[in-house]
Amino acid sequence: MWHKNPSLRLIIIFFLLFPLLSGCWDSQEIEQRATVLAIGIDQASNKEEHRQSEGGITHLDKNSSEPKEELIKVTAQIAVPGRIPLGPTQGQSSQNSVLIVQVVGHTIQDAMLNLQQQVAYETFLGHLRIIVLNEKVAKKGTQRFNDFLRRNPQIRRTASLAVSKEPAADYMKLVPELQRVPSLYLADMVDNLSALGRFPPSFIGLFWSILSSKGQDPYLPFLTIKDKRSIQLSGLAYFSGDRMAGKTSPLEIGFFMAIRGIGRGGYSAFIKVPGKDEFVLVRAISRKTKVKVNLKDGKPHVDIKVRYESEIEEKTSKNVYINDSNIVGKIQNEASKEIAKSLKKLIAKTQKAESDIFGFGEHFRAEYPKYWNKEIRTKENWNRVYKDLTYDVHVDSRIHRVGMKAK
Amino acid sequence: MEHPREITTVQASMILISTIIGVGVLPLPLFAVQGGGTGAPLVTFAGIILAAIGLFILTALGIRHPKKTIITYGEDIVGKWIGKMCSMIVIFFFVILSALAAREFGEVVVSAVLRETPLEVTVIVMLLIACLSVRYNINTFAYIHNFYVPAILGPVLIIVAFSLKNANPIYLRPLIEKDFISMVKGMLTISGLFQGSFIVTMVIPFMKNPKKAKKASFWGIFITGGVYLLIVIATIAVFGTEEIKQIFWPTLELARTTALPGNILQRLDVIFLAVWVTAVFTTLFSSYYFTIYSIKQMAKLKDHRMISFFILPFVFFLAMLPQNILQLYDVIQIAGRVGLLITILYPAMLLAIDLFRSRRRREKSVAQES
Repeated sequence: MWHKNPSLRLIIIFFLLFPLLSGCWDSQEIEQRATVLAIGIDQASNKEEHRQSEGGITHLDKNSSEPKEELIKVTAQIAVPGRIPLGPTQGQSSQNSVLIVQVVGHTIQDAMLNLQQQVAYETFLGHLRIIVLNEKVAKKGTQRFNDFLRRNPQIRRTASLAVSKEPAADYMKLVPELQRVPSLYLADMVDNLSALGRFPPSFIGLFWSILSSKGQDPYLPFLTIKDKRSIQLSGLAYFSGDRMAGKTSPLEIGFFMAIRGIGRGGYSAFIKVPGKDEFVLVRAISRKTKVKVNLKDGKPHVDIKVRYESEIEEKTSKNVYINDSNIVGKIQNEASKEIAKSLKKLIAKTQKAESDIFGFGEHFRAEYPKYWNKEIRTKENWNRVYKDLTYDVHVDSRIHRVGMKAK
Repeated sequence: MEHPREITTVQASMILISTIIGVGVLPLPLFAVQGGGTGAPLVTFAGIILAAIGLFILTALGIRHPKKTIITYGEDIVGKWIGKMCSMIVIFFFVILSALAAREFGEVVVSAVLRETPLEVTVIVMLLIACLSVRYNINTFAYIHNFYVPAILGPVLIIVAFSLKNANPIYLRPLIEKDFISMVKGMLTISGLFQGSFIVTMVIPFMKNPKKAKKASFWGIFITGGVYLLIVIATIAVFGTEEIKQIFWPTLELARTTALPGNILQRLDVIFLAVWVTAVFTTLFSSYYFTIYSIKQMAKLKDHRMISFFILPFVFFLAMLPQNILQLYDVIQIAGRVGLLITILYPAMLLAIDLFRSRRRREKSVAQES
């Protein structure tokens, strides 16, 4: 029948194509989307007050179905559709490119649902670039946030996570002048730091993998606000399990990277010139690290060998002459000694906090599976053993270049 | 046979490659890690070897009966009625396999990409495409597979290569972590992912030179095995075994974590999903084709087109049976392992009987001559 009648066939096809006109189920206009660019998580300060603003949107029953988790305050930066500038624009735009919304909830998703209740468009997390956790929240444990972030398919694993000293809400409200979109500046800052060698690679996916594995603990960048307008990376927040255990100084980030075996150097340090009361600024160009683990009488022991390639960047006074290889040799020996001391100090600091950010445990798991299966097996056990771990540190610092100046 | 023998050796191995690489790529590292912990690459390798053995048994059978498929020579070897019964089990198994592949596809699409689209729609669209493509003859079948293989292999290799930037080789050690039994279980599950290779029995009768089927099988399993092993190694090196246990589809997650250098693409899951949809289609296409063709041969029908639509509602119904995604994966793992009885043990039995018989026949003819 219709095999032989082309016009009938066309009509049938025409009608079959009709339903396709309605389009995709998932189609959504970009203007109808509330794109969340950054999230800041704080502890809700005043309980009573926030219980009111929380609104109980996700509770079936006021008394029985309220989770026991402490309330958190989520500050979200939402891109205003059409106001995110693409490419250079002339003149100062007076309108704000982002909208800042603050909500309270028991969990992230609870807060996000409360946020949805306040925003007309559907929230979209696919462009979420950075999540800032306040120090206090991080110290209470991050596991409660990870569940939602892992489950949600929109979240990118390459988004950044950072810990802040000030309330995270301040970071959301901050308006840096280098970038027109505040949260993008914040995210770029955290991303670029690792490209500059100022921080080891750090993104949320990496944080999760490290948190899951049994022989190491995660670390995150620790941010502070300077002069109310600029953000500074002022250390590394180290965790014990999912709880933040402490923070280091910025220079110690460099030492951490040295032990972790991250080749790209970026930090400089003042080294005292032997025999004089003057200093030179020595910059680490690259490092090579060898971590060897072994069992000494059944007790774990680590040997760390770091080789630095450095360069003298600056001297503090005219009285120092850097003009023969002898003095450079002396400086490099002094540097080796000082760095070794600092490395040991850093390890001792993390041991006290039971936080193996260097991943020594992973080495033991990989190389001594029998020992691991018999004595360790869980993350908690490893953290306990890590506390009494013995270690040797050898640093070999080499200075090959002194820049363009001969003296 | 009514069709000319036109499939070349290269085409045959292409068919194998695109058939084997399917939905299973996504949960593959999870299955491997559940079985072997950090020994997952080893488990995967063992699974590949087992699958290769099964494939070579089938190929050997095919070469011994270059004009027939497992449905027809099965009847010759074990007798008409037992053969028919076994064929029915095989066909039913492939109906289930098609259904599970379609459902798993739908499940991934609904939970990762198109969250508003009803599951039924994604499943039925995929089945309909397979159902329509099945209506053509085996040469078209070969061309379609041939066409898609580069599009499937290329991006997967690119993703694996770029993901190694974040790799940490320490996650891959020690080589053996778990006990023997769980490793064997993992091996069987992995082997189950290679069940698409059964299609080789359908292809051999149409090959230009059936003798070369062994070569085609070798390359087919070598390339897919290599790709699977690479995926397992890359995902473990990037995530570590403990993290993989927390993710349903580690391969998808790998694509999501990987960025092309220079911020050309910040996440590769878009490319990966596009590739994966074609991979699922080719797999479904093959298992559906096998089902339809086998029914045709068993019932000695002239044309297979009508059955194609007739089977569709059954496949769809089966696909909708699992209650939720967790149950679905239980069923998939069990079906994979039990299926090995059908896809490896049954052909092995056939080959043994066949060899035994032909030897007796030869002895007999030698005795008659003397």
